[in-house]
Amino acid sequence: MAKFLEYVPGESFLHRMNPCVKLIGAVLIAIACFVTSNLVFLLILLAAALVMAASCGLGRETAGLCKAVFAFSLILAVVILLTTPHGMPLVPLPWGYIGTGSLLAALTVVVRLMAAAIPLFLVFYVTKMNDLTNAAVKQLHVPYKYAFTFTSTVHFIPVFMNDMAGIMEAQTARGVEFDGSFAKKVRLMIPLCVPLLVSSVRKTNSAAIAAEVRGFNLRTRTSGYKDYPLHGEDFIAIAVCALVLAVAIALAVVG
Amino acid sequence: MIEFNEFSFRYREGAEPVVRDITLSIPDGCFVGITGAAGSGKSTLTYAINGIIPHCYPGDFYGSVTVEGCDTVDTSLTDLSRLVGSVCQDIDSQMVSTVVEDEILYGLENFAVPREEIPARVDEALASMGIADLRDRTIDSLSGGQKQKVAVASVLALHPKVLVLDEPTAELDPASSVTVFDLLARYAREHGTTVVVVEQKIALLSDYADMLVIVDEGRIRFADTPDAVLAHSEELLALGVNVPRSTTLMNALSAQGLYAGPTVRNVAGAAAALKEVLA
Repeated sequence: MAKFLEYVPGESFLHRMNPCVKLIGAVLIAIACFVTSNLVFLLILLAAALVMAASCGLGRETAGLCKAVFAFSLILAVVILLTTPHGMPLVPLPWGYIGTGSLLAALTVVVRLMAAAIPLFLVFYVTKMNDLTNAAVKQLHVPYKYAFTFTSTVHFIPVFMNDMAGIMEAQTARGVEFDGSFAKKVRLMIPLCVPLLVSSVRKTNSAAIAAEVRGFNLRTRTSGYKDYPLHGEDFIAIAVCALVLAVAIALAVVG
Repeated sequence: MIEFNEFSFRYREGAEPVVRDITLSIPDGCFVGITGAAGSGKSTLTYAINGIIPHCYPGDFYGSVTVEGCDTVDTSLTDLSRLVGSVCQDIDSQMVSTVVEDEILYGLENFAVPREEIPARVDEALASMGIADLRDRTIDSLSGGQKQKVAVASVLALHPKVLVLDEPTAELDPASSVTVFDLLARYAREHGTTVVVVEQKIALLSDYADMLVIVDEGRIRFADTPDAVLAHSEELLALGVNVPRSTTLMNALSAQGLYAGPTVRNVAGAAAALKEVLA
């Protein structure tokens, strides 16, 4: 299984798509998810995202991602349940009630976040970092420094996660027990953020120097060796994503 | 030609100079090994060659360092990087790509190498380090040793006149270390590249280097051929430099007047020399 947000080689349809189209398409779908609150529509988008992930052989990575997003969205869902007294009352609360509408709203948030997150994360799993940077620079005219900064940030996420795991292992070897409640784990992890921060700053500095001694400042929009032509399927993909957004807007206006 | 002239440097946050009064000439095409105890200033010397000092790490810079006639203070880091290829100690931080081929391409794209030259350069760099089969692999799937080779290949592709490597075999086993040095030495010979390597494994350095530089507390204590430097095994041990035991043994015999041959660097050499002594 690939590490978080790390490129997984493959020959799937998504792998072959133009990097810019992948990025724009994912953003359009994410916007569509936040425009509408139609649960059926969101469920369809979530199912489509899962099918896309499966088509690239990224089922396990996506399941892991869904688990993480689900855990996060559950917190929001609980807040909504407790603070949005809508629909037929089901559970009375001292300050209101949990109703059928509250349940629907909470479920919508969970599905919306998962449906929006999967396409965005898939972009990084099916696109080489350099292709994403170079295509954004060449075709979207994003300044190289910004594109490189963005992709480097993504590139360093698994590196820092690895560092954190290493620090935790070292602490475990010295008798710290990370098992137990979530609150206990967080309490034990907070002091570890200092060595992680120190190591992150050092690594980032080394990376900046390493890039500079390899001519980073000479880079121009035309420097990229590879070209990223748009093919028929790219136009179809972007049209489908635009249509999804249009439907989402229509549903928001109508409903 | 690399020239250090009365070079001293103190990092801005440091109280004392890390290196001081360094005067050294490294001729073109020379393979130089720099070694010394931890914290002796070895890496600082490499930073002075590739311009990281003073361009990235500011501080008090005294004397001068010139590479191919370019003063490293007056020349921008980018211009210096056209002459000097650098492989840093922290390989993971050096990697900017997710795939080996892209890592090699990175520098070539930045330095605007003509498009028609790029495929041949990539092929040559991969072949030079014996990693042509890793071309499409993701960086994350490589072992520490393979990453080291990719890092070196990505710099070789730029055809630098000077190659500076900071502990390139730190993550390698002895056999892989020898392989990397073999490949480096061959490349340097074929292309006339000057190589400056910081390395702890003095036995390995001695087998490949034309000049061995021993740094102690920021000063050069020895800068000579490996044989001439290893003849001072007792002083080297006192400086914290791990001399091969075969060298120490033969030097001790030499001091007793029992052996008068050249400095021995390895067990095979010691065995042959002892046979002569005992004959």
